[in-house]
Amino acid sequence: MRQTYGKTLPGMKLSDLAGKLIVVEGTDCAGRTTQINMLRPWLEEQGHAVLDTGMTRSTLAGEGIRRAKETNNLGRVTQSLFYATDFVDRLENEVMPALRAGFIVLTDRYIYSLMARASVRGMEPAWIRGIYSAALVPDAVFYLRLDVEQLIPRVIFSRGFDYWESGMDVFPGQDMYESFRAYQSALLAEFDRLSVEFNFETIDASADAKVVFAQLQAKIQRVLDGDAHREPSFADEASRREYLRQAFDYAAAASLRRSPDPSFQHPVASSSAHGSRAFQPTAAHFSSMNARATFDRK
Amino acid sequence: MNTGNGMRLGPFEVFLPPELSSPRLRHPAEPGFPGRLFVVEGIDGSGKSTQLSLLHKWLESKGYGVVFSTWNSSELVKDTTKLGKKKKMLTPATFSLIHATDFADRVERNILPLLKAGAVVLCDRYIYTAFARDVARCMDRRWVRDLYGFAARPAVAFYFRVPLETAIGRLTTARDGFKFYEAGLDLGLSDDPTESFRLFQGRILDEYEKMIPEFGLTVIDATLPVETQQAQVRQIVQTHLDRARNLRVRP
Repeated sequence: MRQTYGKTLPGMKLSDLAGKLIVVEGTDCAGRTTQINMLRPWLEEQGHAVLDTGMTRSTLAGEGIRRAKETNNLGRVTQSLFYATDFVDRLENEVMPALRAGFIVLTDRYIYSLMARASVRGMEPAWIRGIYSAALVPDAVFYLRLDVEQLIPRVIFSRGFDYWESGMDVFPGQDMYESFRAYQSALLAEFDRLSVEFNFETIDASADAKVVFAQLQAKIQRVLDGDAHREPSFADEASRREYLRQAFDYAAAASLRRSPDPSFQHPVASSSAHGSRAFQPTAAHFSSMNARATFDRK
Repeated sequence: MNTGNGMRLGPFEVFLPPELSSPRLRHPAEPGFPGRLFVVEGIDGSGKSTQLSLLHKWLESKGYGVVFSTWNSSELVKDTTKLGKKKKMLTPATFSLIHATDFADRVERNILPLLKAGAVVLCDRYIYTAFARDVARCMDRRWVRDLYGFAARPAVAFYFRVPLETAIGRLTTARDGFKFYEAGLDLGLSDDPTESFRLFQGRILDEYEKMIPEFGLTVIDATLPVETQQAQVRQIVQTHLDRARNLRVRP
């Protein structure tokens, strides 16, 4: 049966939550949304029903939070609780019904981002953990990790510095850049701590989006196979690199394809068909896939 | 000095739940806050708002800097609460959280800064209302108390104790019909609003009774004449204000 982090809410039934709850976490600009936008069609191609959800998307509190943030006058406790309202509304009205219906729920951020934000704002970690003690323990948490130095160019070349992403409420009186560095560094340190506490699977988000995607696909496939804790094992570094290269090709091909192709199999998906517990990718796993990928690109 | 479930910081007590693992915000509170906080609690129809408004007038006439804050009145949050109530979208958990959000905004924006500035702050309903209502909606008792760990402890929390029937009598003559959440119709206790109100308010009364010893609420017999109650309230408030130094007075 599915677990929560300690408490249950009135009327919360934990049996029959057959779906999978998959969390994509990471700091701002780590590419979470990009990945979810690629993962959703990939999962749907495989025939899975997918719900994707994320912060401030609740019917109840989403609009209220957006309006409150426009004022730049939202206290830290109020902020934390407003987000908690949004989270619980989605948990009760979207996530749990979807899991009960057997959906794969992809969530862009989860309680961990909210814990990190609260903690950086000086709130007692135990307080915020207590509030989220009724959250469901997910099947997997993928943490897209990016250093502050790697983050800054992404911000500059996308939407520029934002008041809240720069933590101007935490480090006021400095310019946005200084504030951004200080705030995001603090968040990152907190995320790193949480990654140990809550057993995240960390993925280097500085790699090309397609490489990150391939890694996520492999890891999610293992979750779906009911074998979340199985890591692919490699004989040596060379075979690991070869695996990643092949996975990259798969992702590249997948992003070029428009219609689902049932014969097109991810290496990890095909390995489970072989029934091997410890996954050992060999050239044979990829040969058919490669031919296909090459063909599709032409 | 540590008391039972709160940490005393001058006149100001920050809730500190008994378990050490429980949350306490790293509060910007410093010892010796000059302000004073008085709150009134009780079920609908207990007459607490009447009493608070009389106290307000009296304190103003004596020249104190008095500020008044009512439950569910944050400009930032009340539209969301309204939406949730109108569309009947609130579950016990989101009902609890949205009210905590509203309260937090008032604490951060008004109550704390004003207490620091030396004002007398009066609150019509406080955290005890949330404790009573949320637990009546089957929320975990400990969870709700922890949720409000950021609240300032009032100098005096008056509880206007009234029998259920008296309160219902006052309400039904004063207005027609009960609102959905007010009557606890979300709990499905009864389809009849008046009966549901009765059952729900009964649960709330039980919770208040349990909180009297837990939080040291000051009980006022709300069946007494308005003037008698007000005299008691003023006397208690007066002793607290006499001991307070550095209170702001009207310029």
